[in-house]
Amino acid sequence: MASRLVDGLEVVRAALWPKPLAWATGYALLLPALLVVGLLALGLVYIVDASFRELDTRTFLLAETYSLGNFQEIWERTVFWRITGRTLLAAVIVTAITLALAFPYAYLMVRTRSSLLRKLLLISLFLPFFIGQVVRAYGWLIILGQQGIANTLLQQIGLGPFRLIFTYETVIFGLVQYMLPFAVLMLAPALAAISEEVELAAESLGARWWEAMLNVVVPMAKPGFVAAGVVVFTISLTDFAMPAVLGGGTNDFLANSIYHAFFRISDPGLASALAVILVAIGSTIVAILFAWLGTGTLGFRKSSGASA
Amino acid sequence: MTKGVVLWTIVGANLILLAAPTVIVLAASFTSGNIIQFPPDGFSLRWYARLLELTDFRDAFWRSLQVALICTALSLPVGTLAAIGLARYRVRFATAIQVYLLLPFTVPLVVSGLGLMFLFGAWGILDQLWPVGIATCIINLPFMIWAVAASVNALDPDLEHAAANCGAAPLPAFLTVTLPAVMPGIITGGLIMFVLAFNEFIVSLILTDARTVTLPVLVYNSIRSVVTPDLAAVSVVYIVVATTAILLLDRLVGLDTFLKSR
Repeated sequence: MASRLVDGLEVVRAALWPKPLAWATGYALLLPALLVVGLLALGLVYIVDASFRELDTRTFLLAETYSLGNFQEIWERTVFWRITGRTLLAAVIVTAITLALAFPYAYLMVRTRSSLLRKLLLISLFLPFFIGQVVRAYGWLIILGQQGIANTLLQQIGLGPFRLIFTYETVIFGLVQYMLPFAVLMLAPALAAISEEVELAAESLGARWWEAMLNVVVPMAKPGFVAAGVVVFTISLTDFAMPAVLGGGTNDFLANSIYHAFFRISDPGLASALAVILVAIGSTIVAILFAWLGTGTLGFRKSSGASA
Repeated sequence: MTKGVVLWTIVGANLILLAAPTVIVLAASFTSGNIIQFPPDGFSLRWYARLLELTDFRDAFWRSLQVALICTALSLPVGTLAAIGLARYRVRFATAIQVYLLLPFTVPLVVSGLGLMFLFGAWGILDQLWPVGIATCIINLPFMIWAVAASVNALDPDLEHAAANCGAAPLPAFLTVTLPAVMPGIITGGLIMFVLAFNEFIVSLILTDARTVTLPVLVYNSIRSVVTPDLAAVSVVYIVVATTAILLLDRLVGLDTFLKSR
């Protein structure tokens, strides 16, 4: 019954997609994805177009003519320089801390002989990843808020109250927690590919465990570090929710200023120009990293060195 | 210090860091008080009872479910075909196509949201819910392609050649050999796409209005400086969905697949 259905479908397929078209099968399979992503590409065209049109404050419409006015305004306003600097610095700090925390986690998860422990470590990663950013930020708000649990506990031992919320440090802290699962899941396959015997060899030749780790395991896991680092850096650089919830409007990132330019100032041109700048900063840095360190384990194909 | 002590200290700190918000939200949802404080007032299920009265949140929950279903229904065929096309067929400009298909990851989410808002606005479909489902599919599609591509790459091409040599026509060979072999990747990708669409925030924030607001956006809009327990009970919905997805993933595919080197 089922096989007859398959045979019937094959007849239909052979009629619709005859042998002379076989060379195009790969493209046909890719076509739906190319179209779906094409919607995003179209959206980007709109953004680039709007970024070169200034808002006419009399009609509240974008000008018909192109100009560099929006970029000039951003260039001249110190607030945007400050936000850009704050965003870049946070992304660098978050990447460094996250990679440092993720490496031991991924290492232990890959190397442990207990499948129960491995499963526990995996579940601890997937649970926050699947719960989403807003709920996690809300959880931190309960812990770190003005009358939050952390301050209540600190006051009971005679300390504080401290300002634990709406600070730069809190935003960075929230981002590290947000990025940790991404970093571990990108590092783990790279570590799994390194044979334990390599470490044992290093140690039998007299290296101490941390020397074997730093001089053998870390360099061998470089593709994983590059991939994890790029992912953590770009997501942190462009994050909206953590600065919004844990920064409380006082520690905005570029993503927040794009949102505000559109929805509060109602200036699509300015918002688009900021979006173009954010994409330019992110792509430039990633391109430099890839040129310097290689593309790591990013890309869809097994053996593609030059992808992504 | 020994290796074990150092490793376990860092991993222990990681585990606390990862679990803290979840544990606290869960605990706060069971308080009997009107505000969240420590030590808690007592145990009650009153905020869950109140959940049923909060029609705004209930409607937003159903909308999020619809968005996640639309996203998954679209991602499954689109991502699976693309992954097989990339991994099994010789296509020209393969590298350029890969870079293009990674666009949703290289473009910041807030920028994707803005661009899709311009596009959907121009098409006059901004006041509807289904475009949000399409949008969540676009921004996470590389996850789907990655998941399936990993399965395709793990499949020995000789199996497919053997089927062809034994006289199987292309479609039967695909349906009876290729598809079952890559099913773990399809399930993994589908589950990830569903969950990520269900908790998607920033693009939905940009694309929804008061009538199409989804659950994460409503939770965000409801966060005030005074933290009330009703939001904690709402958030538990996410803990339940995430736990279910992880159990399914472990049952159907095994969480260990994420540790295999590519």
